[in-house]
Amino acid sequence: MHELTPIAPPVEHPHALLSVRDLHYRYPDGTQALCGIRLSIAAGERIALVGRNGSGKTTLIKQLCGLLAPGSGQVDYQGQRLQGEHLEAGRLSLGYLFQDPDDQLFGHTVLADVAFGPRQQGRSAEQAEAAAREALQRVHLVDKAYKEPHHLSFGQKKRAALAGLLAMQPAVLLLDEPTANLDPRQEQVFLDLLKTFSGTLICVSHDLLFLYELCRRAVVLDQGRVAHDYTLDDLVAQRGELRSHGLDFSFRLVLTAEAEEGPAQGGPVCAPSTADPDAAPLAALEQYRFRYPDGTLALDRIDLAVQSGERIALVGENGAGKSTLLACLLGLQQGSGVYRFDGRPVTRRLQTTLWRQVGLVFQDCADQLFCASVEEEIAFGLRRLGLPKAEIRQRSDEFLALVGLEGFQQRVPLHLSGGERKRLALACVLAMRPRLLILDEPTAGLDPHSEALLLAILQQLEATLLLVSHDIFFVQALTCRTLVMHQGQILQDTATADFLQDRNLGNLNGLAFSYRQRGSDAIRALQHAHEQRHVHDHRHAGEAAATEHAHPHTHRIVHSHPGDDQAHEHPPRRFYGDDLPEHDHDPDHHQ
Amino acid sequence: MVEVVHIAVPWWQVAALLMGGAAALIGALAGLRRLARARVTAGEAPDWSVPPLETGGGGTLLHRWDVRCKIVTILGYSFMLTALSRPQPAVAAIVISLLVLVAARASAARVLIRLLAITGFIGMFLVVMPLTVPERDGDTLLVLNQVGWLGFNLRGLVLAATIAAKAVAITLLMEPLLATAPLPVTLHGLARLGAPEMVGQMVLLSHRYLHVFRHEARRMADGMRVRGFRKRTDLLTLKAVANFLGMLFVRSFERTERVFDAMRARGYKGRFPEPAELRLKPGDLLFAGVWLLAGLTLLVWDRLPS
Repeated sequence: MHELTPIAPPVEHPHALLSVRDLHYRYPDGTQALCGIRLSIAAGERIALVGRNGSGKTTLIKQLCGLLAPGSGQVDYQGQRLQGEHLEAGRLSLGYLFQDPDDQLFGHTVLADVAFGPRQQGRSAEQAEAAAREALQRVHLVDKAYKEPHHLSFGQKKRAALAGLLAMQPAVLLLDEPTANLDPRQEQVFLDLLKTFSGTLICVSHDLLFLYELCRRAVVLDQGRVAHDYTLDDLVAQRGELRSHGLDFSFRLVLTAEAEEGPAQGGPVCAPSTADPDAAPLAALEQYRFRYPDGTLALDRIDLAVQSGERIALVGENGAGKSTLLACLLGLQQGSGVYRFDGRPVTRRLQTTLWRQVGLVFQDCADQLFCASVEEEIAFGLRRLGLPKAEIRQRSDEFLALVGLEGFQQRVPLHLSGGERKRLALACVLAMRPRLLILDEPTAGLDPHSEALLLAILQQLEATLLLVSHDIFFVQALTCRTLVMHQGQILQDTATADFLQDRNLGNLNGLAFSYRQRGSDAIRALQHAHEQRHVHDHRHAGEAAATEHAHPHTHRIVHSHPGDDQAHEHPPRRFYGDDLPEHDHDPDHHQ
Repeated sequence: MVEVVHIAVPWWQVAALLMGGAAALIGALAGLRRLARARVTAGEAPDWSVPPLETGGGGTLLHRWDVRCKIVTILGYSFMLTALSRPQPAVAAIVISLLVLVAARASAARVLIRLLAITGFIGMFLVVMPLTVPERDGDTLLVLNQVGWLGFNLRGLVLAATIAAKAVAITLLMEPLLATAPLPVTLHGLARLGAPEMVGQMVLLSHRYLHVFRHEARRMADGMRVRGFRKRTDLLTLKAVANFLGMLFVRSFERTERVFDAMRARGYKGRFPEPAELRLKPGDLLFAGVWLLAGLTLLVWDRLPS
């Protein structure tokens, strides 16, 4: 059990490694990104920088590593203002990990890229190569040293980008969404690497469970201001605060806990199928194979039947073949074997019309949104369906309302927040009323508030659903059946409830979240700390003799909920809201 | 006085000639493509823990040759080849290029891919030049019985074949030029020869990010296709393509800014570190001299009266 501590004022370190004073910053387009930031960071601290999408986290990180110059106020590093020569020198010990590793890997080969930083630090070619090899060894990529970065998988790119920073032996690591789009296995590798980093760590992420494992201090940004600066324990314990900053991920904890105990509340109703067993499945693959032009066998003897109305999860590590399978189901790729849609073999002709029946929400909305306004965006597919203008307008309004984007018609999709863009992409697909809806990593890059909104929308839908996700919570909340893919094959086709109980399958696919489970348990315990105020007798030391009287004071009682039908367990502990030291001598009254 | 010789050809022979030529060209293209693909897909996954040039038959004379000498020599030799005007020296140039390929242990698949890239250009010459070259005394024209105005000039065909041979000879040399040293080293060599350093950096970054932009463009195109987009000749298509290109530009621009930020964050101040130390040895100059002498010999042969 954790003990709840009172909220502390912002920490002021007399010898801060990084300090920010009254920092304001406005982008050239007029957006005020930071307003009066004050922050003091000591060497060796591990800080979680959290907040909604657009709250100024990335801007602050860029200020801390000198990529942006303050509008007003100042940023000090090692006691000096971060500008001029000190800035140039400082950049060599401030490592900034970008969200998209492709931005960071500009070298011709992985080794050349990782050695770039050490060379800029003035080391010789031999020393730089030795440092690069050592860093690649740490991220398990030494066998890919001469590979061109664009040939690496996403997880490998991310690790290579981190190696590029580790090779410079930075004093500070600034990480922007380090685990976004990583599969759980890669995420665990990343976590292990970061845990061994001995310098100062500042991590921006929406993944509070990851941050809980890594950081001790939490700085919450809201509309460019530091809304809170306290321990991560304090942050996660206070649902009210989390909620007010769009960070409440507690809905995940409920289901995580229930996964081990039985069927999830709030998940889909997984009744046995009442469909005619002789009816043709909506989509069916038999002995389906697909090989890329470079010879890679991406799908190997896939047998799959999707019945109308089913809700299916497709899980597996990065590179297991999930995206290729989606491309084949959508008719974007054609392999060998049998593919039937609605009982009809998918010929080349039918393949070109599959888009009318199958809808896909891409992992990265930017791949899907390209029009100048929300109205045009949602009408794009509807026009291709040949619908009359009145119906296009009616469906646009209906589905924008469904995803909570009423009144957004004239907004530019490019300027929407991550969560809004994801919901717009969903509306664009849903408006076409696909018979099979495919969601590819719907939670990637979303803050908890946007995740909760998306989940609520998806739970309302009555559609045949194929969900591709590493997010076991969404799998649990939305699907009844789970397909486990590994190296191009479907290894297991089982009920989601059984899949969640099967540790072997989880381990095989790197989907076992041991640290997440640990973090969830700890956070649930913190969130079940209640304040109570009631009257007790207390002994006070008087001048002549000890006196005893009754007066009310606040208790914080930490308790756990073993199950809905069982009583709360109160541990024998006490915590007083007042500062009277005499109370420490009182007998415990919550045994 | 020598006049133009007209040889009347029956229509079926012309048809057979055209169809045979077209079939041969298409067949050659398909064969090259298949061969290139088979070469690319064959074999085990390479070992990326060592430089590919070492595992891919590196260590030849061309690999060890100073990159500045290599660039100057091959470019100079290529200019000499462009000056050839007779087919025999051009064919000899192809033979020399093939010998260089063997000496450099160049990848056949990559050479074939390069050849495929110029096939359309060569094919256009072979078809157009015999039909359009001006008639001169001594020319031989194949003329269709019924269509007197359409003559197939054999001198034009020889001219086109000579151009094709020169193009092939030079294209074959691109693999020894570009694939016997890492691209950064080749660009470094160019910079040392006086080319602006910024151009080299831009080429290097373009090579890296071309793949990223290509993947982005493909994903966006897929995003349009799954919502029913098909290219047609109408206003809607035009608008969709304009949106697509605009968004691609915006994304590319934003990425460029982020890449530059990432470079600055790791200490970039306008220069990349030198990828290799270049040292000129007497042997490098000797090899360059021998090669250029071969080019000069071809030129002299070309200029000798036949």
